[in-house]
Amino acid sequence: MTTLKPAGNTGRYRLYRELAPIIIVCALVFAVPLIFNNDYLLNKIARYLVLGILAMSLALSWGYAGILNLGQAVSFGLGSYALAMALKLKTVPIQTGSAGLPDFMAWNNVETLPWLWVPFESLSFALLAGILVPAAAAAALGWFMFRGRITGVYVAIITLATMVVVNLVIIDQQPYTGGFNGLTDLAQLQIFGISFDAYGRSTYYLVAVCLTATMLIAFAFTKSKAGLIIQAIRDHESRVRYFGYDVGAYQIFAFALSAAIAGLAGMLYTVVMEFASPTFLGVELSLSVVVWCAVGGRQSFVGAFLGAVLVAGMQGVLSESKAFLETWTLIMGVLFVLVVIFLPKGLAGLGQTVRARLRQAKDRRDEEAISQVLKPTEGEL
Amino acid sequence: MDQFVQQVVTGLSIGSILLLVALGLSIIYGSMGIINLAHGEFVMLGAYAAWMFQQFFGLGLFASLVPIFLVVAAFGWFIERYVLSFLNNRPLDTILATWGVGIILQQAVRLLVGGELRYVQMPSSLADSTNLLGVPVSAYRIFLFIAAVALFGLTWLLMNRTTIGMKLRAIVQDRSISASFGIDARRIYSLTFAYGAGLAGLAGALVSPLKSVSPEMGTGYVVDSFMVVVLGGVQSLAGTVFSSFILGEVSGVVAFLQNDTVAKALVLLAIIVLIRFRPDGLFTARIRA
Repeated sequence: MTTLKPAGNTGRYRLYRELAPIIIVCALVFAVPLIFNNDYLLNKIARYLVLGILAMSLALSWGYAGILNLGQAVSFGLGSYALAMALKLKTVPIQTGSAGLPDFMAWNNVETLPWLWVPFESLSFALLAGILVPAAAAAALGWFMFRGRITGVYVAIITLATMVVVNLVIIDQQPYTGGFNGLTDLAQLQIFGISFDAYGRSTYYLVAVCLTATMLIAFAFTKSKAGLIIQAIRDHESRVRYFGYDVGAYQIFAFALSAAIAGLAGMLYTVVMEFASPTFLGVELSLSVVVWCAVGGRQSFVGAFLGAVLVAGMQGVLSESKAFLETWTLIMGVLFVLVVIFLPKGLAGLGQTVRARLRQAKDRRDEEAISQVLKPTEGEL
Repeated sequence: MDQFVQQVVTGLSIGSILLLVALGLSIIYGSMGIINLAHGEFVMLGAYAAWMFQQFFGLGLFASLVPIFLVVAAFGWFIERYVLSFLNNRPLDTILATWGVGIILQQAVRLLVGGELRYVQMPSSLADSTNLLGVPVSAYRIFLFIAAVALFGLTWLLMNRTTIGMKLRAIVQDRSISASFGIDARRIYSLTFAYGAGLAGLAGALVSPLKSVSPEMGTGYVVDSFMVVVLGGVQSLAGTVFSSFILGEVSGVVAFLQNDTVAKALVLLAIIVLIRFRPDGLFTARIRA
């Protein structure tokens, strides 16, 4: 039973308690370069942090809005390609062909820069597009799905199928997208005179700042009125609809916000990895994101972030040897199934789940004790 | 004319493979509401079982069909008992759990048998090709078509003319009332899942002479056959048949006119639109609620 307490103080206390892990994690992220003075290692860690941002974006749509997007990598890949296109056009020794065409276009006998590429001559356009294109694409798909009141499993299937289509098209249109190879040999990103070398500290701090910002924005969103309505929709959609809220509009908004964050992560990934590839919007990555969220805790941004860093980091460490990597994938699968069955809230909800189980067990014991006491009395009657 | 017949035959051949794989998926999804992402891995297990029976016991494909069905069905039964039965009323989580099971099976096969391609020999009696309306057609593909239709017939009989099928249909309509009539839903569910898995295993064994056998071979099938099930409509076995052949013909024709990628993309797009407007599929049986 819940006991009533004065709302004001408790509310603020709860807010602080939920903010604390976010602040601790972000502070730790900023402290990492002070401890490790190794550019190669920093680049690796930055990569895991970016994947962590991606996992947070899925936690927003899956954990908070109840929209299981199995194609989260589409937004990630679109962001990644947007920035890679701009950086590709900035590559200094322009490879072959007239009018400064990217090398792979010249190899595919493309004569002029395709119209789709023209706006990407401007870096600021690309930076905006990396966030707005995924958001707009998600809003369009969201409009298509949620206006038709598609929910649950069907959302998962539609997003999965959409991702396969986008992936097929990008690989198929080699003259315009680089096909299977993706976009490689990119220039370094330069903003306000700061150049972001993938193996430099500037890139690491860029990732850390973006991580902190998105975590706070996502957290603020879940505490806003719209965020609360989104969670109400997750728990009981029709009840919220009966209250007169436009359920579809809120779902579209959450879906697009999640895609925007994934797009930002995609752009950062291009900076950290120095290329963009069709695997960035492939089935494998998309489903990995789901695993990270499930393991870390889909209803907690810090949980999802840590899930990604732990799982992807572990995979990275073990991938040095091939036999290990294969065994690791097996262990990963077993771990994932166990988490899905026994820890629906992931590691972040471990305490909660254990407490609930213990309470259940105690209730059962109490009931047994009561019935033990009651039996003889019944007999006497 | 020859071109046309050729196209129709290609489509029928794709369709019969789709039907073989989708039949098990359709039963599991239609009666238990479980989207079994491990289905492709059951197909893969069936193909590996065929390879193993041939390699180590010298059994031909026909002789090993029954043991293959039993082996893969046993896997299915085990997975239903020890994984899926924990996930009652959590449909989204069953997607995740079966996907995890798929990874485990795929990786286990890769570790135990190795990742290289394996080949299963075609039964020698079906290795030739015959003439059909002036077009040469491989005898094995005709056999696949007949096998797919026969398995469908068998499944239909099982669902509609046996006690187990009747119990299953009762549970699908109302689980608690069926339970109060003494039907053990747990047991029926396990058997259903095992049967669906066994069918997938058979499908894998039957296509193995046409394709190379590898740990990843199942992944492509699960998406395609899921699309068949969605198109055909849940709980409609006849719908599954129609939609497999429709999808087979359509992808055959588009692949002929354009290329495989465009065919795949267009089919997927059509299905996305279909789910949006008719989530229950094209051939749904109307059930009184």
